[in-house]
Amino acid sequence: MNSDGPSSTSGVGGSADLATPRRNSKRPKYSKFTQQELPACKPILTPGWVISSFLLVGIVFIPIGLASLLASRNVVELVDRYETACIPDGFKKDKVKFIQSDSNKTCNRNLRVKKDMKPPIYVYYQLDNFYQNHRRYVKSRSDQQLKSKNKENETDDCKPEATINGKAILPCGLIAWSLFNDTYSFSRSSQKLQVNKKDISWKSDRDHKFGKDVFPKNFQNRTVKGGATLNASIPLNKQEDLIVWMRTAALPTFRKLYGKIEVELKKGDVIQVTLENNYNTYSFNGKKKLVLSTTKWIGGKNDFIGIAYLTVGGLCFLLALSFGIIYFVKPRRLGDPTYLSWNRNPGGGSNN
Amino acid sequence: MAGWRNTRSRNGAGYNNLTASRTIQLGRVTPQAPGNRTVFVNDRDGNSLAHFKGNSISTTKYNLLTFLPKGLYEQFRRLANCYFLMISLLSFTPVSPVSPYTNVAPLAIVLIVSLIKEAFEDWKRLQNDKSINNSAIDLLQDQKWESTPWKKLQVGDIVRVKQDGFFPADLLFLATTNPDGVCYTETANLDGETNLKIRKALEKTWDFVTPEKVSEFKGEVQCEQPNNSLYTFTGNLIVQKQTLPLSPNQILLRGCSLRNTQYIVGCVIFTGPETKVMMNSMNVPSKRSTLEKKLDKVILALFCLLFCMCLIGAIGSAVFVSFDDYYLNLKAKNPSELDQFNPNQRLKVFALGIFTLITLYSPIIPISLYVTVETIKFIQSSKFINNDLHMYHAPTNTPALARTSNLNEELGQVEYIFSDKTGTLTRNMMEFFKCSVGGETYGTGVTEIEMGAAQRNGIILEEGQKSSNPIRDKGFNFDDARLMRGAWRNEPNPDACKEFFRCLAICHTVLPEGEESPEKIRYQAASPDEAALVSAAKNFGFFFYRRTPTKIFVRESHVERMGQIQDVSYEILNVLEFNSTRKRQSVICRYPDGRLVLYCKGADTVIYERLAVGNNDVKKRTRDHMEQYGAAGLRTLCLAYRDLNPDTYESWNEKFIQAKSSLRDREKKLDEVGELIEKDLTLIGCSAIEDKLQEGVPSCIETLSRAGIKIWVLTGDKLETAINIAYACNLINNDMRQFVISSETDEIREIEDKGDQVEIARFLRETVKNELKKCHDEAKQHLQTTAGPKLSLLIDGKCLMYALDPSLRSMLLNLSLNCSAVVCCRVSPLQKAQVTRLVRKGAQRITLSIGDGANDVGMIQAAHVGVGISGMEGMQAVMASDFAIAQFRFLTDLLLVHGRWSYLRICKVVSYFFYKNLTFTLTQFYFTFQTGFSGQRFYDDWFQTLYNVIFTSLPVIFVGLLDKDVSASLSKKYPELYKEGIKNTFFKFRVLGTVAFFSVYQSIIVYNFVTTSSSGGINSSGKMLGQWDASTMAFTCLLITVNLRLLMMCNTVTKWHHISVGGSILLWFLFIFVYSFFFTDKGIFYTIFVLMSTFYFYLTILLVPIAALLGDFLYQGVQRWFSPYDYQIVQEIHRHEPDNAASALLEVGTQLTPEEARSFAFAQLPGQSSRHTGFAFDSPGYESFFALQQGVVAPQKAWDVVRRASMKPRNSQITSR
Repeated sequence: MNSDGPSSTSGVGGSADLATPRRNSKRPKYSKFTQQELPACKPILTPGWVISSFLLVGIVFIPIGLASLLASRNVVELVDRYETACIPDGFKKDKVKFIQSDSNKTCNRNLRVKKDMKPPIYVYYQLDNFYQNHRRYVKSRSDQQLKSKNKENETDDCKPEATINGKAILPCGLIAWSLFNDTYSFSRSSQKLQVNKKDISWKSDRDHKFGKDVFPKNFQNRTVKGGATLNASIPLNKQEDLIVWMRTAALPTFRKLYGKIEVELKKGDVIQVTLENNYNTYSFNGKKKLVLSTTKWIGGKNDFIGIAYLTVGGLCFLLALSFGIIYFVKPRRLGDPTYLSWNRNPGGGSNN
Repeated sequence: MAGWRNTRSRNGAGYNNLTASRTIQLGRVTPQAPGNRTVFVNDRDGNSLAHFKGNSISTTKYNLLTFLPKGLYEQFRRLANCYFLMISLLSFTPVSPVSPYTNVAPLAIVLIVSLIKEAFEDWKRLQNDKSINNSAIDLLQDQKWESTPWKKLQVGDIVRVKQDGFFPADLLFLATTNPDGVCYTETANLDGETNLKIRKALEKTWDFVTPEKVSEFKGEVQCEQPNNSLYTFTGNLIVQKQTLPLSPNQILLRGCSLRNTQYIVGCVIFTGPETKVMMNSMNVPSKRSTLEKKLDKVILALFCLLFCMCLIGAIGSAVFVSFDDYYLNLKAKNPSELDQFNPNQRLKVFALGIFTLITLYSPIIPISLYVTVETIKFIQSSKFINNDLHMYHAPTNTPALARTSNLNEELGQVEYIFSDKTGTLTRNMMEFFKCSVGGETYGTGVTEIEMGAAQRNGIILEEGQKSSNPIRDKGFNFDDARLMRGAWRNEPNPDACKEFFRCLAICHTVLPEGEESPEKIRYQAASPDEAALVSAAKNFGFFFYRRTPTKIFVRESHVERMGQIQDVSYEILNVLEFNSTRKRQSVICRYPDGRLVLYCKGADTVIYERLAVGNNDVKKRTRDHMEQYGAAGLRTLCLAYRDLNPDTYESWNEKFIQAKSSLRDREKKLDEVGELIEKDLTLIGCSAIEDKLQEGVPSCIETLSRAGIKIWVLTGDKLETAINIAYACNLINNDMRQFVISSETDEIREIEDKGDQVEIARFLRETVKNELKKCHDEAKQHLQTTAGPKLSLLIDGKCLMYALDPSLRSMLLNLSLNCSAVVCCRVSPLQKAQVTRLVRKGAQRITLSIGDGANDVGMIQAAHVGVGISGMEGMQAVMASDFAIAQFRFLTDLLLVHGRWSYLRICKVVSYFFYKNLTFTLTQFYFTFQTGFSGQRFYDDWFQTLYNVIFTSLPVIFVGLLDKDVSASLSKKYPELYKEGIKNTFFKFRVLGTVAFFSVYQSIIVYNFVTTSSSGGINSSGKMLGQWDASTMAFTCLLITVNLRLLMMCNTVTKWHHISVGGSILLWFLFIFVYSFFFTDKGIFYTIFVLMSTFYFYLTILLVPIAALLGDFLYQGVQRWFSPYDYQIVQEIHRHEPDNAASALLEVGTQLTPEEARSFAFAQLPGQSSRHTGFAFDSPGYESFFALQQGVVAPQKAWDVVRRASMKPRNSQITSR
């Protein structure tokens, strides 16, 4: 601002020396940033790049897809849907009434092993149409209460299963209340197969989310029972069914781990399952399935990833091919000035 | 006195345009309050009754108490902020699926950032105010000068202001140390002009210089109430029962500073907020860019989408709820609880569902968009535009300046440029070039325009033979041996020559400065024309070297005999000022030998009217010469004189004095009196001044028109001059079909001669209508043929006045929009603004106005983008502009480089914001379907909060700053690329539609791939994923996808892109590691560690982003190959060239070349930097007519040196000392 205040007194002489303008110069300083000349690579999506990217993706994806699919295919899975089959004939019309009655709900199922199953064989139950991710359901729990003994009264979030007769329910909330209570026992040729229910939940949940000195209290004391009851003498971090159940599922169809069978099952074996069909999925027309499954490195049976990889990879090959053909049929020289809009129609009319 | 400087520089920062000086010339004149103000000089008790305001000022917007409410109010005037406030409030209610901070945190961050900015700026204002209020001034107390802070001043106080000091309030000028009671003020803070203005105290008060003397002074000032009109003041000073009229010449305004005067004594009459400069500070409504307005539409569309999504979800929710889902225990009744899912009240479920989902989907509206875009634009303007070396003009030492950062991308879409001529296309460095004396033409130079014209006609002109050592001086580019060094004495008409030179030396209002030697003297002139004429006189041997209020001293050489030098003093009796109505200026002077002469110079039309009869030969030849000069693009002035008879003069002088002292209509009366004596003139000749084209104008105009920009020249010049300039700068050529609509036809003249105003108007209207129709029809025909010639329209101001009539307006618009060049000549500042507004409103195209003078302010403010030419002239245009550049040719850089890049970048940023938030929200939307429409959130609260604020914010800023499709030099090499901006290729709804399509596609891929693949056991221990594991997984994939997508959009990838994109992803992992490690209460606890221990995780994060981006990649590949954008072709053409070829050149360029240094030093000379008032060809007289009609006070060039005429005391004998 000062250099342009000229007319005051002496001012700059007619013959200016170089120093004066240099000192007062408002010339911006050069920097690559302000002159917008930062070194940069300028990727141009040429056909070569397009085709080779597609090829690269194809080359990487197809083997991965094959490997995943192979792994997934090697997983042996036995699925038995039993919710209808386990209803006595007399109750087929009104399943809800049956499930709410006190009648004997034991049910026997036979499963034939189609392929050798190497231990550990995981036992899952699968529920359907059960919205464990419903907002009302998800938030109806108290993590503080589950974790520490002295916070057992923190049940504000647990509505409508927070208290009973003014006393805090532990574990409170709809999730715990609706704990799954079907039970399965397995035998092969009348020989009982032990189901190991240890270590079926996430270790992090056991160690950090469920306290080892927190015991169930006032649980399922209401007249209407939502689901399973808990043994009040076992601390929560040992109640693995509860821990598994309380890791709510993302989708309305979900599997949860029930236990592990640690003996090998041979092809052709018939497994007798004795199950207690206690859990009410009939109200909301939910299916119930019992799943026995082995695992591979990829986890349980999961063809999706493999197929997806193969599809994407295959598609990329296909695209690479078709691009190649199209470029061959209808080539365009890179940087052809005739493609410039003002060269195409001199009037400068339309643009692409 | 840093305070005022600070005001200016703050203004210069361009971020906040609320300053005092910005609105000076078009400031609304508030109606004067009834009554007047009486001030008792030097009598605090007497004034205390009136309760005048104190002298402390406050320019702050807030104080401690009002800051929060006012600041917040300002923030919530933004709709987006209001929306988020609503959402935040909603999220405190139980219907909200997310915790309050999810929405509150981003809002709070945005608000806090904005408020801190506001507070900081206000704090700076406060400091500024403080330093001003506390600056010291000498106040008269008990016969002594006592240093007092400004804020303590009261009305009626007497103060002393020293040299270079600022006036603390509006002062009544009482006395000065200078003889003749004059002082010089610099008004740079008011209007940016650096030339000195003269103020003169009333004679009666001259003696009150010393404190002892002043303290005796008792008086009473009666004056108007405070108002914001800078150039008017009416009042009386009553001293010793004598009433003396006061004029603006006795008023020293706050904000100006004292120059060339040891000190002055003044009396405070207006203080603090009531000073004129403070009353002028009003906010100019800031311009918003078109893109930003379009953005509002996009936001609106997003709102609609949001509403649809909510509606779908809410209906779903109302249908879904059922008692069958017993595990939700919907029967449990608790009256205190807001029961959202009661199947018995489905309407309520629906209504609450809408609120729930609005809260859930709120991120679809990108809250940080505005903040981000503002940040980007601010950096663009402050770092890139202001620092561009290509736009730095070394000779005037002026870098480009973005005064607002709102309009960067608007620069990339300009379709119409309205340009002033003088000072914008031309240099406004007036050089005396030719003259015609006594019917003889002198001067051998050839103008650029002549050369251009000759080239067009295929002739190559040789410049006339040069004399061996032509005299070169500032403002003097004349070479003719017949006149130089006293040679004129041998010319056929030496007396005419003598009168000619004397007229040049005497008839002006120039102030000499510096040493009184021909080499060192500097001329302060109201317009460069004047300075050029005076310096011409100097070079002819009539060296004007000193001026006193009553005398002009001229050192005359060769008059009596060759080589003889004598100092002659001419007594100046009267000065009849120049104004745009009179278009002439006269000086009555008395020779030492008693000869009384009136010298007059002015536009040919007005002079010829007033010539004495006879001498037709000289008149005719002079007129011919003037036509030649005009055709060569020179500005001509007629010079004439009249010998006065003492008796005639005396009788006239009485009338003049009367008129001068009249309080009402003084100007008008003075004009009338002037008419009485300015007649029977004898023509001496005419002068021709060259106004050179600015450097690079023709090529710049060519480049711009190749870029699809249409350039309109709006000038006050004559039609011929305008056409010549238009030819010279390549705007029009002979291949064009030129439509000329001019009022200078014989028929019109004929009607005008009859003088019937109504008839003239009617006839003109008819003519204009017919002409327009004719042109319009022809233009249509030309347009139908494909290879028709380009069209151009030339119209003059008078016709334009009628063509702008509402009935003809649309035809004018249609015609002119089809013309590639339009020249409007003889237009007033108001018409300039009207034309601009016509195109802006009528054509809905982006307009840019560029100008340098006060007469361009209207047009600069009317256009979408206003550009001021800085560095040469006054600052008024710059003060009103949005961007200031030093040269017209820098428009190429400003538009084609900065504008285009900025447009591309902002488009990218906005569409990316649109994309990322839509994608995010859509995954959430899909999840709603699988949660029984309960509005359960898919992501953790913090994911949602930080998604916008942290994880996706930085990379996009880098794209907004660094992305360039082609380099700067290529942008200029292929100006046609700019058309993409004009057509708004990158921000059409179709483009956004494509973005939205891929957004849907990607969100489907991300959501479904993740949820599907997570439904089985995920590792060999057979465990299952829960909801939060899936959401962590999905968020990771989404984040990677969205960030990689940004990289795919980039045309250039710098290390900053890598760092920011990589950093964002890395930051997410860091965050989730910490977050899921420590927060055991959250569902998210430990998820990432579990996930990262599985193959599944890695398989998915490789698969999902690639599958999601496949579509984009395919689209980009196909688009580029089969229907490439122009810039993509250019990229391909130059793919092997390094980008930074220019930088080496620039590095060398940091050293000024000797030539640059010289011209720089030259530019440092004062005198040139004054506002051009347009002497000869300034806007025609009806300008004031328009101004009056519109209630706009057209910028007066008042209190200029010209005004000194009216300072002349009644009796010159007494005053001359």
